[in-house]
Amino acid sequence: MSGWDRVRASRSRSSQNSAETTRTTSRTVTLGRVQPQAPGHRTIYCNDREANQPLRFKGNSIATTKYNLLTFLPKGLFEQFRRVANCYFLMISILSTTPMSPVNPVTNVVPLSLVLLVSLIKEAWEDWKRFQNDMTINNTPIDVLQDQRWEPIPWKKLQVGDIIRVKQDGFFPADLLFLASTNADGVCYIETANLDGETNLKIRKALERTWDYLTPEKASEFKGEVQCEQPNNSLYTFTGNLIVQKQTLPINPNQLLLRGCSLRNTEYIIGAVIFAGHETKVMMNSMNIPSKRSTLERKLDKLILTLFGTLSVMCLIGAIGSAVIIDRKHFYLGLHDMRKTVEDDQFNPDNRFLVALLNLFTLITLFSPIIPISLYVSIETIKFFQSTQYINKDLRMYHVESNTPALARTSNLNEELGQVEYIFSDKTGTLTRNLMEFFKCSIGGESYGTGITEIEREVAHQIGTKIREVEKPANFIKEKGFNFDDPRLLLGAWRNEPNPDICKEFFRCLAICHTVLPEGEESPEKIRYQAASPDEAALVTAAKNFGFFFYRRTPTMIYVRESHVEKMGNIEDVSYEILNVLEFNSTRKRQSVVCRYPDGRLVLYCKGADTVVYERLADGNEDINKVTREHLEQFGSSGLRTLCLAYRDLSPDMYEKWNEKFIQAKSSLRDRELKLDEVGELIEKDLILIGCTAIEDKLQEGVPACIQTLSRAGIKIWVLTGDKMETAINIAYACNLINNEMKKFIISSETDAIREVEDRGDQVEIARFIREEVKKELQKCLDDVQQMHSVSGPKLALVIDGKCLMYALDPSLRVMLLNLSMNCSSVVCCRVSPLQKAQVTSLVKKGAKKITLSIGDGANDVSMIQAAHIGVGISGQEGMQAVMASDFAIAQFRFLTDLLLVHGRWSYLRICKVVLYFFYKNLTFTLTQFWFTFQCGFSGQRYYDDWFQSLYNVIFTSMPVIMLGLFDKDVSASLSKKYPELYKEGMKNVFFTWRVVAIWAFFSVYQSLVLYHFVAISSSSAQNSSGKIFGIWDVSTMAFTCVVVTVNLRLLMMCNTITKYHYITVGGSILAWFIFVFLYSGIMTTHDRQENVYFVIYVLMSTIYFYFTILLVPVVALLGDFIYQGVQRWFFPYNYQIVQEIHSDEPRDMREMLELEIGNQLTPEEARSLAIAQLPREISKHTGFAFDSPGYESFFAAQLGIYAPQKAWDVARRASMRSKPRLGKKN
Amino acid sequence: MMSSNTASSSSGNAGSADSSANRRTSKRPKYSRFTQQELPACKPILTPKWVITVFLLVSIVFIPIGVASLFASRDVVEIVDRYETECIPPANRTNKVGFIQSSADKTCNRTIKVTKRMKQPIYIYYQLDNFYQNHRRYVKSRSDSQLKDPKSASDTSACDPEGTLNGTVPIVPCGLIAWSLFNDSYSFSRNNNETLTVNKKEISWKSDRDHKFGKAVFPKNFQNGTLIGGASLNESIPLSEQEDLIVWMRTAALPTFRKLYGKIETDLNPNDEVRVILENNYNTYSFNGKKKLVLSTTSWLGGKNDFLGIAYLTVGGLCFFLALLFTVVYLVKPRRLGDPSYLSWNRNPGGR
Repeated sequence: MSGWDRVRASRSRSSQNSAETTRTTSRTVTLGRVQPQAPGHRTIYCNDREANQPLRFKGNSIATTKYNLLTFLPKGLFEQFRRVANCYFLMISILSTTPMSPVNPVTNVVPLSLVLLVSLIKEAWEDWKRFQNDMTINNTPIDVLQDQRWEPIPWKKLQVGDIIRVKQDGFFPADLLFLASTNADGVCYIETANLDGETNLKIRKALERTWDYLTPEKASEFKGEVQCEQPNNSLYTFTGNLIVQKQTLPINPNQLLLRGCSLRNTEYIIGAVIFAGHETKVMMNSMNIPSKRSTLERKLDKLILTLFGTLSVMCLIGAIGSAVIIDRKHFYLGLHDMRKTVEDDQFNPDNRFLVALLNLFTLITLFSPIIPISLYVSIETIKFFQSTQYINKDLRMYHVESNTPALARTSNLNEELGQVEYIFSDKTGTLTRNLMEFFKCSIGGESYGTGITEIEREVAHQIGTKIREVEKPANFIKEKGFNFDDPRLLLGAWRNEPNPDICKEFFRCLAICHTVLPEGEESPEKIRYQAASPDEAALVTAAKNFGFFFYRRTPTMIYVRESHVEKMGNIEDVSYEILNVLEFNSTRKRQSVVCRYPDGRLVLYCKGADTVVYERLADGNEDINKVTREHLEQFGSSGLRTLCLAYRDLSPDMYEKWNEKFIQAKSSLRDRELKLDEVGELIEKDLILIGCTAIEDKLQEGVPACIQTLSRAGIKIWVLTGDKMETAINIAYACNLINNEMKKFIISSETDAIREVEDRGDQVEIARFIREEVKKELQKCLDDVQQMHSVSGPKLALVIDGKCLMYALDPSLRVMLLNLSMNCSSVVCCRVSPLQKAQVTSLVKKGAKKITLSIGDGANDVSMIQAAHIGVGISGQEGMQAVMASDFAIAQFRFLTDLLLVHGRWSYLRICKVVLYFFYKNLTFTLTQFWFTFQCGFSGQRYYDDWFQSLYNVIFTSMPVIMLGLFDKDVSASLSKKYPELYKEGMKNVFFTWRVVAIWAFFSVYQSLVLYHFVAISSSSAQNSSGKIFGIWDVSTMAFTCVVVTVNLRLLMMCNTITKYHYITVGGSILAWFIFVFLYSGIMTTHDRQENVYFVIYVLMSTIYFYFTILLVPVVALLGDFIYQGVQRWFFPYNYQIVQEIHSDEPRDMREMLELEIGNQLTPEEARSLAIAQLPREISKHTGFAFDSPGYESFFAAQLGIYAPQKAWDVARRASMRSKPRLGKKN
Repeated sequence: MMSSNTASSSSGNAGSADSSANRRTSKRPKYSRFTQQELPACKPILTPKWVITVFLLVSIVFIPIGVASLFASRDVVEIVDRYETECIPPANRTNKVGFIQSSADKTCNRTIKVTKRMKQPIYIYYQLDNFYQNHRRYVKSRSDSQLKDPKSASDTSACDPEGTLNGTVPIVPCGLIAWSLFNDSYSFSRNNNETLTVNKKEISWKSDRDHKFGKAVFPKNFQNGTLIGGASLNESIPLSEQEDLIVWMRTAALPTFRKLYGKIETDLNPNDEVRVILENNYNTYSFNGKKKLVLSTTSWLGGKNDFLGIAYLTVGGLCFFLALLFTVVYLVKPRRLGDPSYLSWNRNPGGR
């Protein structure tokens, strides 16, 4: 509901803020861009394939694959080389084929090809899955008309102009022109959940002219010509003409059935294909999810750049050194006879500049492993597992009721989840269930209903009291939309109440005054109600449970099966004639029905917001009115949505007179809505109040606890909702976002001063005035904040409504708004449009440079979800729009704790460690090479054998780090949630600061010095009793062995948990090295360079020196790290380390036990009354008006055969899309 | 990846047994310890006790090894005689390069006094300094196939500029390494008369002899160019028996290196005077390289090299010291493990 009426209201002044809209929307990513319209229109000949032939319309098969067999390699490779790292390694590989290279090209080509291979396989696999998916869709059968028969053919064979039949619950295979339906009046019901996420049924109505073409025989006679616009991606517009037998009939979106929607409540329909395949509106709307990159990854880029800088410095030093040191005096280098080859130029003392230059290239190739080639692949692998195996399969995030597991739609952002600082949440469907349940009511001044709302319960829980649930009676009726328990009303008991007549009116009003469509079998158990808003369905369900079962509706009649009316147990079917429907809209805030009883009694039933109903009550009955108002306020403050019910008996004369005016108004061509409203006013007066209903908009399970946990984790939560301020504040209270200790700032446009100016109606003046007001308010709040800051006062909360927000988001005030809101621990924005949600999100994202997360469930949250760093969609409910736009989808808001505090935090920790480890291991390795360069005259001689070097990254050190990335966890999941404060470490990015990098770099330098010099120095004399001396390859193999051992052991040192996989991979890596070197140096082939290391390892291992060194060097190398870790842990422990210590001796099961809550032992009644008594009552006139739902108008309009114009929010979306193509290239 | 698969398959069937009926439609993820991240794991916590224990352990292991290897090294008797300057006649010392390149007689007599008893075998090394045997241009300037296989004699592509004679005839062995073969020679006698024979067999690694240098490859055109780099080879002896060359061609890792020259298989007694007649042929003068003659015995650990022993002792001692230090700190300023008051949010409750 959020956002919709806000938009509706803003439609009136869209002209004035359109400038604002276009300026700011470039930031919001939207559903695709508006393609430039092809000129002209298309003409389609229905049911005539030959005639359509020359026009070459696209077929109906779709392909969403990126590649095909031919393009896979070039295109896939191209994609890979768009990555800078891969390009770098390609360059290095090319360099290494030149004579300048000190290393064999395999050194660089092998790792690069392996990396590319892995990436390509992944691409191919994903594309294959897409292909299979496409194939399934393309091969779905559909009945198409051929020779007066329905022939099933696959979707892909469908062509524009074909006449097809779609059966109930079937999907439309293409965009269809709706011709005929089995329903009377040529209507059909469709569900558009795939398009816009709304599950309300929508009505489409065929042109009367085509209603008859229902049977195949008849349909085959249909010859029509459709002239319509070119394919475009606007879901809610369509213009065209159908020319049948020289008659031109206009077609509008009401006759268009879009691909992706499904048919409901209709046996079958006949349609003609207008747009097929990729030209359908849904396909033209589909676009790739904009790929987001995590902040950590961006920082990683900086690290890589730093490494590149280091590389350049190292190369420069080496190059200069080589130019200085090269000299003819070293006769053994054969510099006396220089030829004009690159090899010789590189050492030609006559041209030292050239020497330096060429050596620079040599050294770049030599030191290239400093940039870890497998880093990106490893991180991707890890993230892939994290998202597919951990997040998607986490049982703690599986929602049983909706059968929905969590879904990571992207694996790019896992570690970003560990750094979120701001959460922007939608209210309806996210914090609340959007599940309206009839909960309480007040009839004739008597309050009924014994339930305790979840909000009350949460508030009570916060205070510390426990409310014991009253035992539900065995026959307690619980169904969707009805959660009411009071024996005084149920099962006909209402007859014994003091006022049975007024109860009867109440129930009849519920059963008659609505726009619900019954669906399915006409029995109370099986019937399903289709309503535009869940509130309505809840009310009708309530009537059913009270014994007034509404079971059938025709355009003029409503059938109600009434029980216990005359006497107990008596059941009779009563039909009411519906004379007029005065529909709901946001200005009227009420809805009325004029009906005629079978006995001729004329009654107007009205239900609506208390404010509007009370204005229209007849005099008298002050007592009831007063008591009901009290009830309304009580309901409102416990978070219930209320409606007032009233009725009025009409005299036939008076009605007839009024009806004339009504008909006149209804048929007027100009200002019809306005006139209808005016006519409505004439009859909706002198009403008699029956009572009021209270519907619970249930909080999602565990929301308050989740919010509390998250705020303990230091995350600030903003609620952005389209609801009214009172409702929003109410929910905020219930969710723990605001409490009474907080200082609240409320910036509202509903002040008298503003209203006064608004009444004058001068748009410019209104804008100026509100801006001034907002500025004043903001300034005042900021002053307050500054004052309070000095004395560290209470926490702050800001509540602002959409209209004020519009001005506060103005560039001139934006900074103030940001300053203010940064100081607030919670912010509630109410009555905001989808666009504003996105604007607020990007205000914090860009302005405060903090990691933001948006969570929402509906189409109106899409822009916000895409604007934030991380978008989370609520899945498992109606609608997929938010999920489709999101990065993660979870079924419940409360799963955010797991997603952020457990998965996010771990992922962050792991990725940080993985990155740092990669950085460390490659730096260490390359530095040993660098130190050697100093001792070989800067000639660029490689220290290690080519294969050692190329397999170092790929085999000898690759697996353990993946285990680290998969399995490392500092504290268990339950402790992560028990100590949410641990999350702050990620927020501050404690584990990946430059300081941390510097520490790693320091130890890397230290280790490399140890690794190189210890081995080199100690190997200068004979190493066994045979007196023989080692050569360069013996020394380097020794050093390499030490490097592999050290680097792998270092990994174990940084693990918080060591599983068997750690042992296997660490041991395996070291073992792999030995196996490799045994084989490699044991076999002699004709390849030249390998003979360098022939038998080297055996020579080495025949000396005791080998074993002494391999014990000494890793220990010395790791000693520094060990001391550092010991001291750090001892004197400057991280929080997680303390928590580890606290829980170190608890067995695992005990820790899980901590999670269980043990209720205390008050008697139920005591606990309940105590808790209710302690509830803080918000002093609010707000009474929770229920009819606050989107789609309400259009639903009505559709039913009346009027096509409702596209929604304002869609206009806004389209407007925002227009600026996209210009920016598109950049992203 | 391999491990992850095994994880899920091995523990997958241990998953919950409920709801087998609606398992087909249920999207409930299967329980496995892997996906729920509950793999059994050891969780090492680096407590002070562990730190101290590790330090102690290292010192306990290292100090004995250090002592042992230091003793081994000390047992080795090593006599080093630097001769590159002494062996140039004083008159020629201003132009050493000129002298070494001239055809003058370069015989030089050195007397070495044995200080400690040296048990046979006594290894004779020559040590060169500032000689970049690990230079890239130098290291690659060889042809392994040519050394091994007589048929590959013309395989000299890597050997430039010493690959061929006049650009046509291949040199065997080709390349700068072979070309610059060390050519000082030593002969020894003890106490004036007693000649000490130098055994030059088996001074190279067996693997080199057997596999890298062919039995049927004979030197050809070696040192026939205009510039002579070093020693020449007897063309009638196959390369596999030219052990000086084999030793020389196992290029050294550092610019200061020793190479084995031969063995004296007689014990030397204290105060023995060893007279060395050496041919000072090799030019290290142009790059100011030192030349040293080294006589050394070996121990079970190898030649004289205190480095390992000292390193072991130092590390062991350091660890012991650290263990003490940590113990003292632990006693003086203990931190109670798992004290919640150390948690940052408990330390300053006001701050965020």
